[in-house]
Amino acid sequence: MSAQTFALLLVLGAIGTLISVTARARGRATTLDFYLAGRRVGTFTNACAICGDYFSAASFLGVAAAVYASGLDGVWYAAGFAAGFVPVLLFVAAPLRRFGRISLPDFLGERFASEQVRVVAVVVVQLVVLAYLVPQAVGSGITWELLVGRGFGGLSAYATGVVVSASLIAALVVIGGMRGTTWNQALQFVLLLIVLVWLATLVFSTGFSYPSAVEEASSTPLLVPAPDDISLTTVPDRLQPDREAIFGTPGARYGGLGQFALLATLVLGTAGLPHIMNRYFTSPTGRSTRFTTVWVLVLAGAFYALAVLLGTAARVTIAEHAASTPWLEALTIDGVLRVPEHALLALGRIHAGVPGLGLVATAAFAAMISTIGGLLLAAAASWGHDVYERYLNPKATQQQAIRAGQLAVGVASALAAVIALSLEPARLSSNFPSVVALLVTWAFALAGSALTPVLLLSIWWRGISAKGAIAGMSVGTVTVLAALAIGLSRGGDTDDLGSLLLAPTLLAAPLATLTTVLVSRIDDPPAGLTGVWLRMHGTAADRQVERFARLAARQGRGR
Amino acid sequence: MPARRPDEEPDFENALSFPVEGLADLQEYDAPAEVDAAFVTQRRIAVGYCLVFLLVTFAIPVLTVSSAWWIDSRVVGGMSPSFLMAAVVLYAFFVGLGVAAATLADGSEDRMLGRAGGDEREDGA
Repeated sequence: MSAQTFALLLVLGAIGTLISVTARARGRATTLDFYLAGRRVGTFTNACAICGDYFSAASFLGVAAAVYASGLDGVWYAAGFAAGFVPVLLFVAAPLRRFGRISLPDFLGERFASEQVRVVAVVVVQLVVLAYLVPQAVGSGITWELLVGRGFGGLSAYATGVVVSASLIAALVVIGGMRGTTWNQALQFVLLLIVLVWLATLVFSTGFSYPSAVEEASSTPLLVPAPDDISLTTVPDRLQPDREAIFGTPGARYGGLGQFALLATLVLGTAGLPHIMNRYFTSPTGRSTRFTTVWVLVLAGAFYALAVLLGTAARVTIAEHAASTPWLEALTIDGVLRVPEHALLALGRIHAGVPGLGLVATAAFAAMISTIGGLLLAAAASWGHDVYERYLNPKATQQQAIRAGQLAVGVASALAAVIALSLEPARLSSNFPSVVALLVTWAFALAGSALTPVLLLSIWWRGISAKGAIAGMSVGTVTVLAALAIGLSRGGDTDDLGSLLLAPTLLAAPLATLTTVLVSRIDDPPAGLTGVWLRMHGTAADRQVERFARLAARQGRGR
Repeated sequence: MPARRPDEEPDFENALSFPVEGLADLQEYDAPAEVDAAFVTQRRIAVGYCLVFLLVTFAIPVLTVSSAWWIDSRVVGGMSPSFLMAAVVLYAFFVGLGVAAATLADGSEDRMLGRAGGDEREDGA
């Protein structure tokens, strides 16, 4: 690791610590401060924080890697990740915030006035958080492996990356709570965007032409490392089996059904991601969440369009430089990267030397840090608030409840690190084009099948009952886990059925919805629906907050 | 009107470092019938925009499996209509759709709820 890279990582760590320490709630923090930053996060700040939370290792390294490895089929990741916020805007953001709880299980438990719903939701949320944490930890290990190249304390480079990132982020979240995490996420997202723009500027400054690069990359069949890891092999086109896949046309990764399955998984998954939905509770009003989401769509559009461009640039540039660049030759087989997640990192080093690699790696760590921070807070909120305060110690003081949340942060972080250490990304890379993006897809499938259908019906259908919600979440979860197990036992997504089983939302979400509706039909909806509807779909609380803000601003100016 | 629970109250007391006068005049209420009407309108807006969203987004894989022109023709350089749509155009469409839906949803809520709101009281009119 060069001195510049080490300095960049130190600066990132120092800034994160400084933000966490200075932004933490003053005096005696309340649970509202620790989990929701006092519900006073501004529209644009929250949009940046949501982006920081959302743009994980899967987005920063994974999307470019998927495009690098699979061409147009990899672009579906970018399109699906960005598209996921449209249903959030249309159906979820404003009513969820107006109901005004602390976490998704808290929302569902209160909506149905049911402790059973709350407990089932806690279990599902923990599964989603864990499924999302593991790929972030894997991404940390992969980045450390390339950036530092060696481990410490007897650990391998990969294991050191996993352990260092998991411990550092857990510490930052424990110190800063939601307020510190919000500012960390917002600034880390700005860093990500700046690095992508900077990298794109460097790429274009060398005379790069996007349309020509797609043409050049598509001029020969798409090549990927063969299972023997010493040669390359072509990829059969899954849409037209009589020909080989090429970069600029679909078919390298997914057949007809697979295209729909991936898109549906990513589109529906976002609305069920607990760490993203929890961020909406930090907005002051329901109305402000709508334009927060519009800003997210703007920022996500810019981010993913750049990630796709850079994945394309990496395909062409790395092939050109591999033979004449010793360090790149070690990472490639005949000009094709062994681990596609190295695409952006290698591009940074090609265009700006070791400092360029350091900057991109720092941004990759920032992406993982901000996402892991949000996930750990979501885990803390559901354990600390929904389990500890409700069941384990109902008379807990605010400080005891916060300590329980902080303990949950440590446990979730350690568990994710242990699972990530048991995986071998290099071995998985030979079966899947981007391990990080694939693992995140599973988290999306779980969220989109177990939580999104119940969440949407809770907000928009008076007839849903507590038993219906429990049945829907259970069926969604079991179907996804079963589909993934069957899909993996069949040898991965080698055909349409395999693609559907490894991105099973198209199968599991309708089943969960149908189950919820059928069970609700034979059960009674909870009492007090008029009050629930007034809170979720009325604007009185919004107007009150807006009037208070105007009144306070006027009196503040007059002081 | 249903009474508010204490934990639903905005955190007015801790919001600012100086006391704000006139907090007692800030109470706002919605009538259930008005909320029901607004809910139906919001649902119509959300479902309508969602249909447009689904139609455009899922048209890409539909065209991918059904139209050779969509994947084999070239619009700019090596970019097919499918590549151009998924890599660039779709994001602009999401933003346009989002702005239109959010503006319409906000506008309809303004028209349908809080019409007897407190701006007049607050402004002392």
